[in-house]
Amino acid sequence: MKRKGIQQMSWKGLAAFTVLILILPFLLSTSLMITKATFAGIYTIVAVGLGLLMGFAGQISLGQAAFYGVGAYSTAILTATFGISPWLSLLIAITAPALIAYILGHTMARLHGYYLAMATLAFGIVIHVLLVEWKGFTKGASGFYGIPKLELFGFTFTQGISYYYLVWAFALLVIILSLNIIHSRIGRALRSIHDSEVASSSMGVDTGRYKMQVFIISAMFAGIAGWLFAHMSYSISPGSFGLDGSILFLTMVVLGGSTSVWGAVFGALLITAISSFVQALGSKISFITSDFEHVLYGLILMLVVIFLPQGLFPAIAAKLKPFLEFTGRKKKSGSITAVKGDQRA
Amino acid sequence: MNLPILEIKGVSFSYGPIQALDDLHLHVDHGEIVALLGANGAGKTTLLKNIAGLLQSDSGEILYRNRNIERMEAEKIVQDKLILVPEHRQVFGTMSVLDNLSLGAYHHYKKTGKKEVAREIDKVFTLFPILEERKEQLAGTLSGGQQQMLAIARAIMAKPDLLLLDEPSLGLAPLIVKEVLNYVKQLRDELGVTILLIEQNVSASLKIADRGYVMSHGSIVKEGRAEDLLHNPEVKEVFLGHTV
Repeated sequence: MKRKGIQQMSWKGLAAFTVLILILPFLLSTSLMITKATFAGIYTIVAVGLGLLMGFAGQISLGQAAFYGVGAYSTAILTATFGISPWLSLLIAITAPALIAYILGHTMARLHGYYLAMATLAFGIVIHVLLVEWKGFTKGASGFYGIPKLELFGFTFTQGISYYYLVWAFALLVIILSLNIIHSRIGRALRSIHDSEVASSSMGVDTGRYKMQVFIISAMFAGIAGWLFAHMSYSISPGSFGLDGSILFLTMVVLGGSTSVWGAVFGALLITAISSFVQALGSKISFITSDFEHVLYGLILMLVVIFLPQGLFPAIAAKLKPFLEFTGRKKKSGSITAVKGDQRA
Repeated sequence: MNLPILEIKGVSFSYGPIQALDDLHLHVDHGEIVALLGANGAGKTTLLKNIAGLLQSDSGEILYRNRNIERMEAEKIVQDKLILVPEHRQVFGTMSVLDNLSLGAYHHYKKTGKKEVAREIDKVFTLFPILEERKEQLAGTLSGGQQQMLAIARAIMAKPDLLLLDEPSLGLAPLIVKEVLNYVKQLRDELGVTILLIEQNVSASLKIADRGYVMSHGSIVKEGRAEDLLHNPEVKEVFLGHTV
């Protein structure tokens, strides 16, 4: 049976997106732009995880930057202080945030209401304080230096095109994994939780377990992003992992739209572009500082929530629907494939 | 003599200081339609949530097929074919009719497989033809009556032995109410599903029910055959606005 709806479209979208990612470095004129595009990939990984949590499990995390920080600092400490291989530390950079998410989620009485948002907010503050104050391990506010570069079979990934492709390879894996999750029976259960938790429970969906799983996955994605960030930057400081960072990730998801994986990707790309533009403007106009950027994000967040609560991506996709089959999950779902057709390739 | 499929024995439940259920007793026999009547705030929805495992009672026993399910998780209760259709329909609005129905089969999807679930959906469509016409439509865009039918159809997909229906006629036009309640009766008559029904439309619900209970302040204050309750002067006065 011919596939319909979201499944077919998401995979078509993925193929087109992959081609774009592959050719993008050849279209960018400066190394700074390639670095920005690399950052966009790192942010995409965090945003996609947060998008799954918000759009599919209906939960909000205000501590995603802290998970990102846990990933970054775990690898920094393990590789620079203890001399462990970065590839081995990747495992810790993934499992440490996952473990924290499990403990946090478990203590929050199976993540009802806004408790998770409050808990992650507090968690983010605690992590930031720890990163600043636990100088013996983290080197404090001045930052952690000397994080080794990533090497694989004698090849060193340095800032530039090689790191760009490495980051985006991880980002594409995260996107594929997320698309797989949302198109599976689990994804349908998650969407049902988002729509009505009571009805979902009434159908036998273990809502607490699924919400916990998605929370852990989102923390793991943030950990991977932190790992990539640390080995790209060689030095990290607590400033990158505070509340500002968490709000930035939240803005990406809200702006792009949390109800599709592509929304989060779109949001991450757009915010990175806006940030780059504002920074470029700041070098020419004196009153445009980093504070201006925060005000701008706040404004974007407000405007999107008021005028486009579903986010930009679903709105744009709806406009382009007649021309492109590339929409998010708000489109009439191809659920018949879930019932009669093959679930996935 | 029919054996009870559900027995509620002395169940109490409170929301903090507010006593919502107070030493409540009732039973539902196999193959019955039992109507649960009562004013707003009487505790009807709370009782259904206790039975379905969405709330845990403070004391008492909820016996389903002679087994106490009072501390059982909602997912396990669904696996035992005791299904709740919650109030306000609560269809999954951003999902298609077909996805909603698939989710109804959630707990036995792995066991039965996609093909079997597809067959079950086809059977459900014979009961609710309008849903087949709208099968690819997003559930949130259906009319109120169609959403209610979908909510019931979704519950049927879970192959219930006991169905708990929480105000299926809420917010529906009188003609649609009649249609929905006819479907409810059809479920019992054709599929043999036992039904515990909460309904504000007392007259319509007692017409399809075998027996009824009247709840007030968390307790049962009156019970009897549906026909007797329908003609009971007190019930008439309180619920139907008729004076004797």
